[in-house]
Amino acid sequence: MAEHAWILAAVPGIAFIVMAALGRNLPRQGDWLAVLCATSIFGLFFAVLANFLNLGEAAWPVLNSIEWTAIGDFHLRMGIAVDQITIVMLAVITTVALMVNIFSVGYMKGEPRYWWYFAVLQLFVASMLMLVLADNLLLLYVAWELVGLSSFLLIGHYWERRSAVEAAKKAFITTRVGDVGLLIGIILFWEATGTFNILDIIHYVEEGAIGDTRLFVTMMFILLGAMGKSAQLPFHVWLPDAMEGPTPVSALIHAATMVVAGVYLVARMLPVFEAAGALDVVLVIGLLTALFSGVVAFAQTDIKKVLAYSTVSQLGFMFVALGAGYASAGMFHLFTHAFFKALLFLGAGSVIIGTHHHQEMGQLGGLWRKMPITAGTFLIGSLALAGLFPLAGFWSKDEILHAVEGQGTFFFFLISIAAIMTAFYTARLFVRTFLGKPRDEEVASHTRETGPVMTLPLVFLAFMSIVAGFFIFHDFGSAFGFPGGFSEFVFLHYPHAFHVDWGLVGLSTALFVIGTFGGAWFYWNGRLDRSTVMAEWQPKVYEMVQRKFYFDDLYQFLIDRVVLGFSYLVSWFDRFAVNDTGVDGSATMTGYAGFLLKHLQTGRVPNYAMAIAAGVVALTLLSLAVGS
Amino acid sequence: MVPMENYLVLSGIIFSLGVYGVLARRNAVLVLMSVELMLNAVSLNFVAFSAYRIPSSADATGIIFAVFVIAVAAAEVGLALAIVIRLFRNRSTANVDEAATMRW
Repeated sequence: MAEHAWILAAVPGIAFIVMAALGRNLPRQGDWLAVLCATSIFGLFFAVLANFLNLGEAAWPVLNSIEWTAIGDFHLRMGIAVDQITIVMLAVITTVALMVNIFSVGYMKGEPRYWWYFAVLQLFVASMLMLVLADNLLLLYVAWELVGLSSFLLIGHYWERRSAVEAAKKAFITTRVGDVGLLIGIILFWEATGTFNILDIIHYVEEGAIGDTRLFVTMMFILLGAMGKSAQLPFHVWLPDAMEGPTPVSALIHAATMVVAGVYLVARMLPVFEAAGALDVVLVIGLLTALFSGVVAFAQTDIKKVLAYSTVSQLGFMFVALGAGYASAGMFHLFTHAFFKALLFLGAGSVIIGTHHHQEMGQLGGLWRKMPITAGTFLIGSLALAGLFPLAGFWSKDEILHAVEGQGTFFFFLISIAAIMTAFYTARLFVRTFLGKPRDEEVASHTRETGPVMTLPLVFLAFMSIVAGFFIFHDFGSAFGFPGGFSEFVFLHYPHAFHVDWGLVGLSTALFVIGTFGGAWFYWNGRLDRSTVMAEWQPKVYEMVQRKFYFDDLYQFLIDRVVLGFSYLVSWFDRFAVNDTGVDGSATMTGYAGFLLKHLQTGRVPNYAMAIAAGVVALTLLSLAVGS
Repeated sequence: MVPMENYLVLSGIIFSLGVYGVLARRNAVLVLMSVELMLNAVSLNFVAFSAYRIPSSADATGIIFAVFVIAVAAAEVGLALAIVIRLFRNRSTANVDEAATMRW
């Protein structure tokens, strides 16, 4: 089964085609087909996993490919490679996709283009599965672009709203900038090694087939692609705006598909990054992103925006772990983060539905009385994100701290600050949304707990958010399909068993306590958001944070002045030089020449005869002159 | 034997008369006759060269060409005279200067 894992991607792919063609006419607009599809790939994943484990370590990675085309001596093979990283990604994608599909049935009820939403959701899942299964960079790139396309379609689902259209465009174009880098990187690899196959490339690089400088430049281009998709500084701008899409889509984008693609790519190519000496770049970018978005999250008042910046920050953590050379820590955080971030986003979706589309924290508060299940699961998700022992986030954050420990005190200190900030804004989010007294009686009076189709996925994900961290342990991991625990399953150079480092556990808990209780104390039950109090105290600083350190303004300025200015120049050249002078000019010249020369056409036969005779005489004289 | 030059000079004179006729005459019939003169000059050349180049041989290329020219000329005259008659019927004149409508 593992060598036929492509079926995982094929099933939602076919479901997309069927639903896009027929969805509107199916009973219930085909949502049952979507859930069926998600359930079947969830089940198929376990078949793949069981077979993968049965084959044993000697058979890893499981390969299967067909010859796509042959041009002369060049054979292009397309296929799949299933190794440990792929298995982790498959687990995350299939689980979150199933939860999101079920949740969407409740969330999207009565929304426009219901059938199309579910159809594109399947395309999204299919392309992401294809991305993680691909054994070569070319197929990966195709899937990469398909992921971009489906996210574009889903973010812009409510295309009647201008902001949604702009957000969709922003996401598409911003990631496109990175994608071009990825494509250049792929071409450079192909030029140097003559293959697109990832394993072959890693092999060539480890043999030293590519020069140092060249390899470094190539990896920078690849990293550019990963940064674009994973919303790392300075490409992070699209992710918070992507909140314009339906909330379950945000959950999917943030947890399982899209943004983790970049992390996956870096983890997949980690040996090459290491050989290129580019790990430090990854580390620094991740750290900057984690700190930056942690700060910006304070000033956001929209639940989903806070969560969005939290995702950017956590992706930064993953990059930091990968930059420290620990594939296991990065992938483990991806794994646990997927569950609690999906939980938090779906919880936010539940809040939005429960309060009839209110998502500003200033209008919420005290929701726990009205929405106990949502509040309870959201609390578990928040605590897991903040890193409470022994929830999922605690273990993965611990692994990252452990990974960064070897990188020097300075980095360790900064990542600890980022961890405190995570706990802090998470506490703020929970306190402001669920605790205290309702700030808006009007909203509170209509608030109602959502139905089981939405709360059951929350409960399941809450359960996963509690237990996912235990996969790090040898026995627990072995029992549930990751033999030897996570860090012995996914590793770069050698497997290492996980040992609880009580010093780190203490530190990590201290960070959690400082952040959470600091945040809870700071924001407890104020009728006013303390962040707005901050705004009066230090308006300049607050404005800077709220405007996201002017990144968007800077990009807007660059687009307005530089890009548009240049395009005006180009369009002037096109209009004036190419069109008016070149194309129209030659036509005008021809017409004018005809206007002049038509007078030679007298219609009198003797004139023509004279011309012929004169021509003969002239030619004769000429031949005499030349011939003699 | 009459020298070759005589034939060529005669042929040149006839051809020049034909050219003059085509350029100077207005009447379409006379222009046609001048064209015939030119064709005959060419035929004369063919025959002369044929006779002088390979004397008493079986090679009759020049003569065949001459016959061919005569045949073509006959056909051409047939066609051209028909056109002249149509022109005269339409315009009551055979003056080529006046048939000048085929222009811009």
